[in-house]
Amino acid sequence: MPDWQALVRSQLDGLALELHERAEVIEELAAHLDETFEGLRRRGFAEEDAAQCCLNEVKDWQKLSRLIQTARTKENIMTNRVKQFWLPSLFTLLLSMVLLMLIQFFGPDPWTSASRSQQRMTPVAVVYLSWLFSLPLIGALGAYLSIRAGGSTHAVFSSIVFPVFPYVAFVVVGLPVALILDDRVAHNITIPAFLVGLPAWVIFPGVALLAGGLPVRLFISRRLSARRIAGG
Amino acid sequence: MIGAGIKRGTAELAVLSVLEDGPLHGYEMARRIEQQTKGALRFTLAALYPMLYRMEHRRWIRGTWETSDNGRRRRCYRITPSGKKKLSPLRQEWSELFQALRRLKKVAHA
Repeated sequence: MPDWQALVRSQLDGLALELHERAEVIEELAAHLDETFEGLRRRGFAEEDAAQCCLNEVKDWQKLSRLIQTARTKENIMTNRVKQFWLPSLFTLLLSMVLLMLIQFFGPDPWTSASRSQQRMTPVAVVYLSWLFSLPLIGALGAYLSIRAGGSTHAVFSSIVFPVFPYVAFVVVGLPVALILDDRVAHNITIPAFLVGLPAWVIFPGVALLAGGLPVRLFISRRLSARRIAGG
Repeated sequence: MIGAGIKRGTAELAVLSVLEDGPLHGYEMARRIEQQTKGALRFTLAALYPMLYRMEHRRWIRGTWETSDNGRRRRCYRITPSGKKKLSPLRQEWSELFQALRRLKKVAHA
């Protein structure tokens, strides 16, 4: 008699469910094939024919895997998305904004890119170094919260860098406006201002967030892989 | 033989109906439906389990692991109170559909 457990396990290799849930599905489907096989044998089928009939129960294992996954998780999509992406992202955004406000009010003076000798019209980048140095912790927290909720790589990455999204959005909206209205608007939203502001508010904070978030992601992923290997 | 589209619509009704008589595991359920419909409705493993999991997710049925006398573990499904509630409008809908089809002369003579 074929080893139905081994067959189902190998065919449903890509089934992305919790370990215990996946094991239950494999056991249940294997038991079904087992009984189908025995039922056919009792009805006089030769072993090979019975095995072939059982194999015909599933034409496309990948499709079955997809259907099972959808059936088991579909109605949790919203909840999962909230837990894996929105909550960690909004939490890190809020934390970084509150921290920036506190640093602006009570913290040390920011570093500015323009010296006193430069012209008054030169765009000035204002960098809150103490804020930048605190961002790796916030990135790490975002990664941890998203991973703990079972977030995908995409969700974890988005949760890490989410605090810079408002600035990215500002650049995405503001830059075209500046390009169109360059000569007609105030000097502080001209293209040079964007070029100076982009590293100060998007690139440096993004790198700082990733510097904290990615090691956490790597560390926890390794631990999970080790657990999976240990659990068979 | 009934086509896949119609079968899909009747599948949930069939499962809830057989479970109304008592708990069954997947294989028994498929056999029972096949026997009671004289082979008109036959569920393969690939068709049955995604549907059972979906129905379980909606809390119309509940699956629990049980060990039989010969030591085999099987997942037995039972209809839940909300499944029973769902069964009656489903029956009504299908009954109305069949009545409507019967009223069509061409279908009646098909």
